[in-house]
Amino acid sequence: MKPATFEYHAPTSAEEAVGLLADLDDAKALAGGQSLVPMLALRLAVFENLVDLRRVDELRGIETRDGSVWIGAGTTQATIGRSESIGLNVPLLARATPLIGHLQIRSRGTIGGSIAHADASAEYPAVALALDVELDALSPRGRRTIPAAEFFTGTWSTELEEDELLTGITFPVWQGRAGFAVEEFARRHGDFAMAGACVAVGVGADGRIDRCAISLFGLGPCARRATEVETELIGTSPADSDADEIGRTAMAGLDSVPTDLHGSASYRKRVGAAMVARAWRRALQEAVGD
Amino acid sequence: MSGSQQATDTDRYAGRRVKRVEDARLLTGRGTFVDDVVRPGMLHVNFVRSPIARARITGIDISEALALDGVYAVLTAADINPYVHEQWFSLEGRHAPDTPRPPLAEGEVRHVGDPVAMIIAQDRYVAEDAAELVIVDYDPLPPVVDYATAFDSSELVHEAYPGNLVGQIGGRPMADLAPTFDNAPHVVSETYHQQAYCAMPMETRGIVTEWSPSDGTMTIWTATQSPHEVRGFCARLLAIPEHSVRVVMRDTGGGFGQKVLPLREDMCLMIAATKVPAPLKWIEDRQEHLLAAGQARHEHGEARMAFDDDGRILAATIDHVQDAGAYPSPNPVGSGIAVGLIFPGPYRIPEGTFNSRFAFSNTSGRVAYRGPWQFESVARECLLDVAARQIGIDPVELRRKNMLRRDELPTANCNGMPYSDITPLETFEQALEILDYDAFRREQEQARAAGRYIGVGTCTYVEPTAGASALYGTEGATIRVEPSGKVNVYVAGGSCGNSLETTVIQLTADALGVDIADVSSIQGDTAVTPFGGGTGGSRSGPMTAGAVNQTATELRGRILALAAHLLGGVPVDEVEFTRGVASVKGSPEKQVTLAEIADTAYFKSGSLPAELSVGLEVSGRFRAQHLMLWANATHVCTCEVDIVTGEVKLLRYIVSEDCGPMINPNVVEGQIFGGTVQGIGGALYEELAYDDAGNPVTTTFMDYLLPTAAEVPTIELGHVETPSIGPGGYKGVGEGGAIGAPPAVINAVADALAPFGVRISRLPLTPATIVNLLEEAAQRGAAGAAAAAGAARTAVAG
Ligand SMILES: Cc1cc2nc3c(=O)[nH]c(=O)nc-3n(C[C@H](O)[C@H](O)[C@H](O)COP(=O)(O)OP(=O)(O)OC[C@H]3O[C@@H](n4cnc5c(N)ncnc54)[C@H](O)[C@@H]3O)c2cc1C
Repeated sequence: MKPATFEYHAPTSAEEAVGLLADLDDAKALAGGQSLVPMLALRLAVFENLVDLRRVDELRGIETRDGSVWIGAGTTQATIGRSESIGLNVPLLARATPLIGHLQIRSRGTIGGSIAHADASAEYPAVALALDVELDALSPRGRRTIPAAEFFTGTWSTELEEDELLTGITFPVWQGRAGFAVEEFARRHGDFAMAGACVAVGVGADGRIDRCAISLFGLGPCARRATEVETELIGTSPADSDADEIGRTAMAGLDSVPTDLHGSASYRKRVGAAMVARAWRRALQEAVGD
Repeated sequence: MSGSQQATDTDRYAGRRVKRVEDARLLTGRGTFVDDVVRPGMLHVNFVRSPIARARITGIDISEALALDGVYAVLTAADINPYVHEQWFSLEGRHAPDTPRPPLAEGEVRHVGDPVAMIIAQDRYVAEDAAELVIVDYDPLPPVVDYATAFDSSELVHEAYPGNLVGQIGGRPMADLAPTFDNAPHVVSETYHQQAYCAMPMETRGIVTEWSPSDGTMTIWTATQSPHEVRGFCARLLAIPEHSVRVVMRDTGGGFGQKVLPLREDMCLMIAATKVPAPLKWIEDRQEHLLAAGQARHEHGEARMAFDDDGRILAATIDHVQDAGAYPSPNPVGSGIAVGLIFPGPYRIPEGTFNSRFAFSNTSGRVAYRGPWQFESVARECLLDVAARQIGIDPVELRRKNMLRRDELPTANCNGMPYSDITPLETFEQALEILDYDAFRREQEQARAAGRYIGVGTCTYVEPTAGASALYGTEGATIRVEPSGKVNVYVAGGSCGNSLETTVIQLTADALGVDIADVSSIQGDTAVTPFGGGTGGSRSGPMTAGAVNQTATELRGRILALAAHLLGGVPVDEVEFTRGVASVKGSPEKQVTLAEIADTAYFKSGSLPAELSVGLEVSGRFRAQHLMLWANATHVCTCEVDIVTGEVKLLRYIVSEDCGPMINPNVVEGQIFGGTVQGIGGALYEELAYDDAGNPVTTTFMDYLLPTAAEVPTIELGHVETPSIGPGGYKGVGEGGAIGAPPAVINAVADALAPFGVRISRLPLTPATIVNLLEEAAQRGAAGAAAAAGAARTAVAG
């Protein structure tokens, strides 16, 4: 369990970092190392060059902007967990954070690493997807912004190019009556979830559901939205919603649900349905405010 | 020591929560584990391991690996295996039937992880690079993955063992009991399948071997429970004199049975050290540990019990099969017999028998694991709960009816095990009282009405400890009062968390009558400590106590004789000696300290009469008078099951145990906590799993799940202290936690799910397994209801 030899680079700007990623052979960005380092140690991944982002200050920070919150990709999960502004403005992100591993992992692991790594069972990609965040990317070809809906493309794969860096994530702040919940089931405290769901729901002046997002994790090659249920729910009255039914519908027709030692696809769907239902109840209760 | 001179009970250190002397160094990161040992010029070893469960090796090309910078040698079976002279364990004896155990795979690989070649390089990084460059040609063979069908397989793990049968052992023929079972009002049976899991010490295996060609001596630093076993083994392996081998262990970060015996990699390091001009270090990484440090617990058995109308047990049998893996250490038949022998447990069972068979498979070899026979408790205690439900009696009542009472002791169980000094019923009642069993049953009823499923499970067991087998029936100690009056006590050691250092100084201070601050202990170095079996079989407490008591008694006699002389020639029986100070009875003003006595013994020998011996040092060897010392305990667990996800949440966990008088309650409780958590892991989380092709699928801690502090509730303890016939009345307490926990947890889950008619027979109880059980029960229930409805219709029609 020792990694193969690599060259270590520690640039101090994002420009420099993407330059290195573009110019060096077989180069990979290193953030908190909580996913990459174990893979290197097990030699599941081998890279000739590692470009460490720890000295790139511009990648860190939490800024409240007009109607949104910007978080630098290099900001640690622990910093996010401690941020009052995020607790207030992006409650879903705040609530998902303690579910990531353990404190020691969150002290190193970054939001950018988590989203770029795009593990199927990770919380942050599902939060990003539910909240329709915007992802800022930088490459030698310049900057671009990728909407969350286009970012996650499959198992551990994203829209990012090999020489492209995720620099920041912009979270919209939901106004009005809204509720947020994340529920997951893991074998042990701190394990990656076997199945989980994020719910964000808004209730309009007429008392009907006017915004609704349900995202799933651990239930496919990467985080996914339950768009069909969402559409059905818009315009309905909270009193009419049947959480268990919503859970079942969200699972209906889901393909590529993983099977492993810890549970079959059908088990994961059963649990997924329950997680959606539980998250829905909590989020809705918060939105209608009783 | 004579009664009048003995310190009063309240003065004794034994029985007190003396702070562990190890803790200061361990908690400040100053422990010395094998990886902390660095020798001049030391090189690092890494093994090339088989990626295939079974294959013929048709070629090994080491040239590329050898050419890599920093690689000094690449050794294969041809370089190592011919140098095995004798290969047997002191624990088992020279003539015990043994199973194959080559250092490196020769001709055929027999499990994924089987060591094929050994890289010696400047560091572990290069050694791992080199391992990727060794080209091994494998001609795959069909593996025997499932031990349960191994007897019928036409493929053989080892050619010399037809039907893959390692061995078989049993009691009277099962057929003898047919009349009892045929005529019993109630017969209950179930086949339980336990998954493979094993010891996961924080410190993996590891060894440093240093050969000195100039004088033909070998020094070994290793993570072991038994330094003297390693020494004897190495001497025989290399055919060098035993006194030319020195084995040193300071701290071992957990053993749990796995580190009692040197295994195949250790042999490689011992032999290779004599071939290369440098000390060698191998530190097992976690992945290797999960591939090749062995497995345990993998077994199944059909348990049967017959009951009379009142729920009294008439007979009990178990037909048991155990997985030996490819290269078990030791031969599993010897310890496997205990499953059958102890299956009757703490119950009054007039008749019974057992049968155990052991199967080779192309998986990691079986090794000892804390309570290696624990399947007896799983099968018995789970079956008793099934019986209670079937007969329609509360499981606690059923046990009360059948459990042995004090006034029935001593007695022998129906398979011949002689029980004495046990208190199963006392621990059972104590644990239930801590829980408030009746209150729990009321709470359970209310919970069920509200759609919540909580349950309670118990396990009561008896456990043979400190087994004084013919080979390890003695234990030695050397105690030295140094010229300054400070005391050193030397015992074999092998402490791996069980705190032998602390308990030994407590016992020594008591037995000599000195202040504990004046006693220190030296352990784990075969060059200076007396021969001993080390940690294993819950033997350290009683056996070491025997050695220390016997040795200290003689030394105390010498101290008193010298004191009597220094106090003016008073008769020895008028001398009092406590906390290192001697005085004459009745005139406490006249005193002489141990420091003064020692000073005289070493430096003023000329002033002493000839009949007084000089120096203050005694070596003694305790010879056990017992065959084994029985300990017992009851575990009680409550849980809640989420019937949607199948998640089990433990609510309360209670252990009431009787290990005799406790030398140090902190140490005893630490042993119980640790074992219990391992047992909880076995019931709910841990599994060393293989796929159908024999590939391990749990090769990191991502998939091999250990319970953490977050999964385990506070463990509440009760103690009953009944002296054994052994030294000090002590009994062993090392293993029981790991025995009692799985059945208590399984029974709690089964009780929670009783309303659904769930029957548990396969472990571990993962959430997905529980959901499956619920679904199966629902189908059975639906089918049953349909059948009942059909029967009703027929009845109406008829
Ligand atoms: C025991 C354990 C338990 C865990 N449990 C959970 C859990 O429950 N839930 C969960 O979500 N995660 C869990 N994790 C993973 C953890 O959250 C990781 O921190 C995270 O997945 C990756 O973040 P990182 O900063 O450590 O990235 P790294 O490991 O350094 O990198 C991961 C990948 O992202 C790429 N990357 C990193 N930053 C950028 C960037 N700015 N731009 C482009 N690419 C980038 C890297 O090149 C690499 O491919 C666990 C980890 C451990 C060790």
